[in-house]
Amino acid sequence: MAKKYGMIHDNNLCIGCQACSVACRSENKIPESVYRLQVWVNGPTEYPNGTLGYEYHRQSCVQCENTPCVSVCPTKASHVNEEGIVLVDVDLCVGCLYCIAACPYQARYVHPVTKAPDKCTFCHESRLSRGEEPACVTVCPTDALVFGDLNDPKSKINQVRSERVTYRQKEKLGTSPKMFIVPNHKGGINS
Amino acid sequence: MNQIWGSMEQYNTVVWHWPIAVYLFLAGLSAGAIISAIVIKWMKGNDVSPWDGIIKAGAILAPVTIGVGLLLLITDLTRPLMFWKLLIHYNFGSVMTLGVLALFVYFPVVLLFLLGVFKKELVENGPFKFLAPIADLALSQAKLIESVTLVLAVGVGAYTGFLLSAMNSFPLLNTPILPALFLASGVSAGISANLVVGLLFFNSSTNEGNVSYLHGLDVKVIFAELFFLFILFVGMMYQGGATAHVAKAALSTGGLSTLLWFGVIGLGLILPIGLNFALPHGVKHSQGFVIFNALIVLVGVMALRYYILYAGQTFVG
Ligand code: SF4
Ligand code: SF4
Repeated sequence: MAKKYGMIHDNNLCIGCQACSVACRSENKIPESVYRLQVWVNGPTEYPNGTLGYEYHRQSCVQCENTPCVSVCPTKASHVNEEGIVLVDVDLCVGCLYCIAACPYQARYVHPVTKAPDKCTFCHESRLSRGEEPACVTVCPTDALVFGDLNDPKSKINQVRSERVTYRQKEKLGTSPKMFIVPNHKGGINS
Repeated sequence: MNQIWGSMEQYNTVVWHWPIAVYLFLAGLSAGAIISAIVIKWMKGNDVSPWDGIIKAGAILAPVTIGVGLLLLITDLTRPLMFWKLLIHYNFGSVMTLGVLALFVYFPVVLLFLLGVFKKELVENGPFKFLAPIADLALSQAKLIESVTLVLAVGVGAYTGFLLSAMNSFPLLNTPILPALFLASGVSAGISANLVVGLLFFNSSTNEGNVSYLHGLDVKVIFAELFFLFILFVGMMYQGGATAHVAKAALSTGGLSTLLWFGVIGLGLILPIGLNFALPHGVKHSQGFVIFNALIVLVGVMALRYYILYAGQTFVG
């Protein structure tokens, strides 16, 4: 069966250290001032007992299954590969930016050199093709990121999904992201 | 910005800028100009040469405005030299592809219309003698070609709305009324542009009856536009939640809402309607007034495109 890659970001394990973001930048040679991945640190917010804590948000492509970016692209430059990863074929891209506008997650930016949209690819072009996990996942010091094949019941991601509560961002838009968030459950869940 | 996670500049939700608004305006105007020219041409007595000034105006405006609009659109691409890939790679699920395909046919048929109407100037006495057979075809098959053109023009006028409404992350854009609003305002812009060009450049051949007919039609279309705008915002309010918030913000925040109330609604819609009712018959039908009225309508339609594009991308809930 074809693979279908997905990821989990666990808000309880994340400490906002930015290791993933830095690893992404060096692995994918991201030019200055643009980002495939950021981790936003919101807070601190106060819990009912008076202690403080942070909320973390992984800002990157969530690898939608129903992809707004792909359906609007007039040339099929934006496409989904056999492994469920949403990619941009720079050769076909005219730079209309329809995909950037249509992405509800602000996951895309114009690459300063190619002038075509670029985004997180789960390290498809580098580590993944060598059978390794995405750079962000391997460097995470707290294992807040879990990567794997959603079609394989035995994969680590499916084990974790069976044990922890997860949700997906802006699900009501029908995009069906393959990025699962374990919400911070301290002080109640804000989705 | 000095958050530890870096600059957030790339997360600005305004992706499409003013050249797109101008393109949307010009495409709508082009469709409206050819639609109103054909409507006039199909009226009794107008279907023979010498053509009415309105028909001549539409014949010139339709190809010129869509041509300029497309040039603007292409230069606005981040990879403009790659634009030809749009012409050979299709995604039938994308409104942009459907627009490209519609324009593929629309552009030639409006050029055919131009060639037929200006046969004497362009073909008989002009540089395009070799196009004589095509000009003859344009005239002998006029009805058929014009019918096809009408359908395509409606398609072009509406597609500019679908282009924006297809994006469900923008509540102000993602509404079914947008294509209708854009089509109506495009028709209004086309009528107005035809009146201005017809009266200024083809004054001697422009029939007064046709001018008042179009002018009267414009007022009706403007009523429809007002109603569509009303439906747009009321519909968003009734949806509640984030969508209602977006509607409130878009109606009341910053320079964009000022543009909506004063530019789009005040200047572009209410003023023409008000003047039309308030002024005595003689003034209303004077050329000077018709031209003035048409100019404020055009400004209003441009303001509408600008407002919808920017407010749609700015207020995202
Ligand atoms: S998050 Fe945006 S870029 Fe990524 S697949 Fe979804 S729509 Fe496309
Ligand atoms: S910018 Fe490129 S990838 Fe994005 S929709 Fe346009 S052609 Fe497709």
